[in-house]
Amino acid sequence: MEVDREDGRSQNQLRPLACSRNILHRAHGSASWSQGDTKVLAAVYGPKAGTKKNENPEKACIEVIWKPKTGQIGKPEKEYEMILKRTLESICILTVNPNTTTSIIVQVVNDDGALLPSAINAACMALVDAGIPMKHLAVAICCCVAKSGYVILDPTKLEEQKMKAFAYLVFPNSVRSVLPEGSLRVEGEPIENGIITSVTHGIMSVADYFYCLERGRAASVKLSDFLRRNLQQQSTDSSRAG
Amino acid sequence: MDARLANTWRLTLNEKNFIKTALLSEIRIDGRKPFEFRNISINFGREDGSAEVQLGQTRVMGIVTAKFVQPYRDRPNEGTLTIYPEFSPMADPSFEAGRSGESAFELGQIIDRGLRESRAVDTESLCIVAGKLVWAIRIDILILDNGGNLVDAANIAALAALMTFRTPECSLGGEDGQEVIIHPPEMRDPLPLILHHLPIAITFGFFIDENVVVIDPIHNEEAVMAGRMIATVNANGDICAIQKAGEGVSQRVIMQCLQLAITKAADITKQIKAAVEAYNSERALQKIKRETTCVGNSVKGDQNQTLDNKGISELVGKYMERLKLISVESYASKILMLRKSNH
Repeated sequence: MEVDREDGRSQNQLRPLACSRNILHRAHGSASWSQGDTKVLAAVYGPKAGTKKNENPEKACIEVIWKPKTGQIGKPEKEYEMILKRTLESICILTVNPNTTTSIIVQVVNDDGALLPSAINAACMALVDAGIPMKHLAVAICCCVAKSGYVILDPTKLEEQKMKAFAYLVFPNSVRSVLPEGSLRVEGEPIENGIITSVTHGIMSVADYFYCLERGRAASVKLSDFLRRNLQQQSTDSSRAG
Repeated sequence: MDARLANTWRLTLNEKNFIKTALLSEIRIDGRKPFEFRNISINFGREDGSAEVQLGQTRVMGIVTAKFVQPYRDRPNEGTLTIYPEFSPMADPSFEAGRSGESAFELGQIIDRGLRESRAVDTESLCIVAGKLVWAIRIDILILDNGGNLVDAANIAALAALMTFRTPECSLGGEDGQEVIIHPPEMRDPLPLILHHLPIAITFGFFIDENVVVIDPIHNEEAVMAGRMIATVNANGDICAIQKAGEGVSQRVIMQCLQLAITKAADITKQIKAAVEAYNSERALQKIKRETTCVGNSVKGDQNQTLDNKGISELVGKYMERLKLISVESYASKILMLRKSNH
């Protein structure tokens, strides 16, 4: 079914992606991620000594601070912080630096739909830039279900408001490995089929949700390729000392 | 996160002595001369009223928004202007999330004095209905990277954002002439703010030796300097505000600094104006492109901004259709809200 989207994209087409790392000088790691007009800046400081009060001191702790573009920090921001924290805790190797805190600060520069996925992608790239040890990358995508039943990827703000339901999905990145095929499977399934985080808003049927997952997984492969190229390109640039 | 001793950034004694000794021979650690400003680059965001300024390693973003409020009782004809500085923890490891420290407050005050008290922004033009409805302009200043001299960079960001900000045009109408109609940007061009002059803040750093003065200190120099003066001047030679703290400095040095500040302010004013010009012309081009795709093939001939004569109702019709869900709803709800508040 051909769907007419405002900016002329097809159902499964993502907006142009742009990512740059090491843009801030004081932060240990920083990245800026933009999907179309949505732009997010992430900075990482860490690991710093000590963990917060209620955290387990035998593991590293992750602290997320979400800064909206304007206005006070309210409940939506706290929710984003919590989701980001849980996502990043599952991808970072927390046993390497026990009793330390890594702070991730996310600043919204412009919000034009798919804000949380962009923030997750930006935070992940900033962690890579800071050199925090991770198991794999997190690739985030937003899928929407319209009232008439079709599913689109990476909506703009206008599209998000018109949709019946939408889901933010985070997958591990696609694996390219020299190891034999069978060794990287978890319980018989390849790693990239796993879901790290899933947040839904609105009502959708189970079939719709599974369809979103399928579309999201396919898109995450494209996103993983983009990330891989981006990281490889910048690492071959002239090394920066200190 | 508590500011722990292990996590605060401290300059070592060796580095401090190095900076001080080098300055005695007029050498700065980043290779500049004592009275040389760093390179300024100004970029604008997607929406009107958002600017990002990079001053060497310092990075500051200024965002301007506006909403309707009731004016103050003693100034019923004037709009309001408030500055919200935010020292984001991403800028410096010692900045804490939540309450910003006193340096954030000081920065806000200095910029406020320069913009509001010197009457740089024309607040009377922000009045819509005297005594009842005025525009309240809010400037959010986000510090993204602290490479030293935050005040100057924040000031430039605030000015650049103000110069590119647009308020929707409002007119009085309705049956009793008391209703305020807000025209969506597709029907009538939003209006820029009126700025009488551009107050530029210039920071000077003083060191123990009286003859050592630097302009635009970086964060290493800021940790070493004994005194600081921030002079807000404009290109016409007017002094809008001066803030001085720290070691006592002789009168002669202060006068020299003020003279220098006025010359530097002229340069910076030129730069800001050039950047804003470039942005405005690009925006105008984009606007023309946007409207021609919407109309199709009918707009021919001289495609300049005076599309008013060329069937604006046709343009509006197509546009309103597309953005019906958003702009008409919010437009209608705004009228409702104003009707209620006018009773």
